[in-house]
Amino acid sequence: MPAHESLLSWLGLMIVAPPAALLAVFFAAFLLNRRLQEEPIGRLIQGTISLSLLAAVSASVIMLWHRVAHHAIELGDWVITPHYHLKFEFVLDLLSLSYVMLTLVLCAVIGAFSTRYLHRERGYQRFFVLFALFLLGMVTASLSDTVETLFAGWEMVGLSSVLLIAFFQERPSPPRNGLRVWVVYRICDVALMLAAILMHEINGAGDFDHLVGDKAWPAHDPLLIGPHFTMLGVLFVIAAAGKSALIPFSGWLPRAMEGPTPSSAVFYGALSVHLGAFLLLRVSPVLDSSIWLQVAVVVLGLSTSAFAYLAGRVQTDIKSALAFASLTQVGIIIAEIGLGFRYLALLHLLGHACLRTLQFLRAPSLLHDHHQLENAIGSRPREEGVMWEQRLPIKVQHWLYRFALERGYLDSILEKWVARPFVALFRSLDGLETRWARILDGEPKTKEARDP
Amino acid sequence: MNLSSLPWLELSLLLSLVGAVVAAFIKMPGLALRTCLGFLLVILLCATAASLSTGAGWLKHFAADDLAAPMLPVLSMLHLVTLLGTAKSRVSPLFCTRLMLATFVSLAAVTCHEPWMLVSLLVIGVLLPLWDLHSRGSATRGYLIHMSLFIVLLVLGWQFAHKPIGIALLLLALLLRGGIVPLHGWVPTLFQGAAYGTAMIFVLPLMEVLAALRLLPHAPEWMLNAASIACLITAVYGGGMAIVQNEVRKFYAHLCLSQTSLVMFAVMLHTSNGLTAALCLWISSSLALAGLAFSVRALEARFGALSLREHHGYYEQVPGLAICFLITGLASVGFPGTIGFVPMELLISGSVEQGLGVSFALAIAAMFNGIAILRAYFALFTGKRPTTSVSLQKTPQERIGIIVIALTVFLGGWFSPGVVASRHETADKLLERAGKQEAPTSKH
Repeated sequence: MPAHESLLSWLGLMIVAPPAALLAVFFAAFLLNRRLQEEPIGRLIQGTISLSLLAAVSASVIMLWHRVAHHAIELGDWVITPHYHLKFEFVLDLLSLSYVMLTLVLCAVIGAFSTRYLHRERGYQRFFVLFALFLLGMVTASLSDTVETLFAGWEMVGLSSVLLIAFFQERPSPPRNGLRVWVVYRICDVALMLAAILMHEINGAGDFDHLVGDKAWPAHDPLLIGPHFTMLGVLFVIAAAGKSALIPFSGWLPRAMEGPTPSSAVFYGALSVHLGAFLLLRVSPVLDSSIWLQVAVVVLGLSTSAFAYLAGRVQTDIKSALAFASLTQVGIIIAEIGLGFRYLALLHLLGHACLRTLQFLRAPSLLHDHHQLENAIGSRPREEGVMWEQRLPIKVQHWLYRFALERGYLDSILEKWVARPFVALFRSLDGLETRWARILDGEPKTKEARDP
Repeated sequence: MNLSSLPWLELSLLLSLVGAVVAAFIKMPGLALRTCLGFLLVILLCATAASLSTGAGWLKHFAADDLAAPMLPVLSMLHLVTLLGTAKSRVSPLFCTRLMLATFVSLAAVTCHEPWMLVSLLVIGVLLPLWDLHSRGSATRGYLIHMSLFIVLLVLGWQFAHKPIGIALLLLALLLRGGIVPLHGWVPTLFQGAAYGTAMIFVLPLMEVLAALRLLPHAPEWMLNAASIACLITAVYGGGMAIVQNEVRKFYAHLCLSQTSLVMFAVMLHTSNGLTAALCLWISSSLALAGLAFSVRALEARFGALSLREHHGYYEQVPGLAICFLITGLASVGFPGTIGFVPMELLISGSVEQGLGVSFALAIAAMFNGIAILRAYFALFTGKRPTTSVSLQKTPQERIGIIVIALTVFLGGWFSPGVVASRHETADKLLERAGKQEAPTSKH
């Protein structure tokens, strides 16, 4: 292996190693029952991200210098049996390096912001433990070259997001909303899990290279045609829809704003919400397997975008308005992917993530600025609808307003047709079970648990 | 002297019996706890040595073979964690005696090669929870009915093991012991009526899995298929029920049902991949669920019976237990980086041969369990924190328990490849044996 390729492999690992080591430090502190102070935590975060970023930038420079467009880093076969092959592998290419550098830059900004924003907050250490888990998950998912590696990162991102939504845990609504988001994430995890299985069935391995060829992204070798690939594409789209809050899963996005502002910025303004789009970019050749799938992706993206635009217009708090504005752009990015504009989608994603992070971080100050503005002009600034809204019949305007205010009725539809029947079914089964147990035990009521 | 030639297995078995006798004669609970703890630590060391040792043992019918070797330290640790998680105020000499006897039964059963002995040990194992239920004045009828049926089916099945009807009876007995729907009513009852520790050490060693592997190598495919469907239904049902429970004990009981059914399902696949997954899941599920129970018991010792109807806000007072609850809970559903990740992946991938629908059902069961765990976590550890006048910090005993569990759950994840390789070898041997040997009979 040429020297620069060995160096690239080493640098690739150096991107992942610092976040893993950071998490290990927090784990050791937990085992030793030590509480880390704010200053060391801040330094650890900045040091970790700086090291990873340095490795990522160095890897990019070397790849450009040596004109290497694709470099796979095999970590060996984790599990190998004649019928199953679990492999962890990273890849350095335009997509992975762009996304990992975006992750690291934004996490560095958010990390620095959070050390001040959460100063003396009771959950300071908890926030940064979850932040470290998120960082490791994002880096792992960004660099993944096998579906298992992606899944590992994907799950870490999901868990850390949910626990950060419930960060202000003394209030009742953050944990409740966190649980709702977790339910959606678990549903999309099922889709990703099934996609992984299908990939193993098709290729005998979970490598993306096996699936789309080892040409540098976005080029791909084989022509992927057949119902298997369409099915695979559908599963990937469902997984991406859950993670990126596309229709019909959009209801969780405003709920996720319960978390602290830095986490909202990094998760729902920038990185986490784009992870679905990243997944579709990674497996984009699979989408090409069927024109219907491409059309479905475009329709999904555009309808999400239209929905988010409408819902965002009636939001009364800045974080929710920004969340829907973010979703509007994510929908367009998804549509771009469906149309086959991969580079455009990547550029759009990178630019949008940076812009939205800064907007989210400005959100608390923006309110302050707004108040100052109101005081200065002596009244509220005039808000006028855009021209096409005023041309609509008044009934349609009212309907659209209600539709937007109720966020497309998505939450209530899911609650009415999925959540409630599920709970009702299992509650009735529980009742039957309890009655049956009482009959068997021959008592009118069950004995309460007493001792552990 | 060569250490590997020492009779480690025999020492483990002897020590657990001696421990039971010694605990029975101690009157002071504190002394009984310390004595029992000492015995279990030594048993853990001996069991680990037995699993590593290559020498032949002294006892004719017991041996740490490929199947038993990794389970010896796992089962010893399970019993040790059970004791570590028991509050000092709740420990009694009687509890210690039962725990040591249960240790003996588990270790003996897992290493026993004689079918009649295994059947006897399974029957004896049933009596320990009954003793506990009876001594606490809890309702025993439901448990007794189920377990009587289990014993009858087990003995009859073993008697006629060379005939299809015998195999069917054996299979039914083992499914009943695993709490298959609709014969699962005894599991929630046991967790509600008996001491948590007693219920744990009866359910978590998954003796039905062991018995299925030892006693049922020749079951016809249609029977295994039918059993696997029943297991799959139970896994999904248990997961769904765990989500809607309002009491922690019932939540835990249903979670156990779901998880143990997944292991049994993997056994019933009777393929190389399926058996490998079963053997790995057996280890990971037992340890992860034991860790989860450890947190729940520590909470119950502080706050009494726990409800999931409202948010309790215990995180601020016992953050260590909150973290332990979360990581063990997630490990049980196969969260990446933990001991359960690779086994769960293996199971779901191994089920592909049965069709994508089966994989889908497994993924749904895992999804339900994951949702149930986070719901319970939020209910227990978030919310307005209660004010107390006494310190609720974790005790040194609990701290050791948390360290042991956390290290096991995470390091187990990193050592998964080695474990999977060895379990795969064992699975292949089991399949090979099934192809060559005759069905077990009662006449040996």
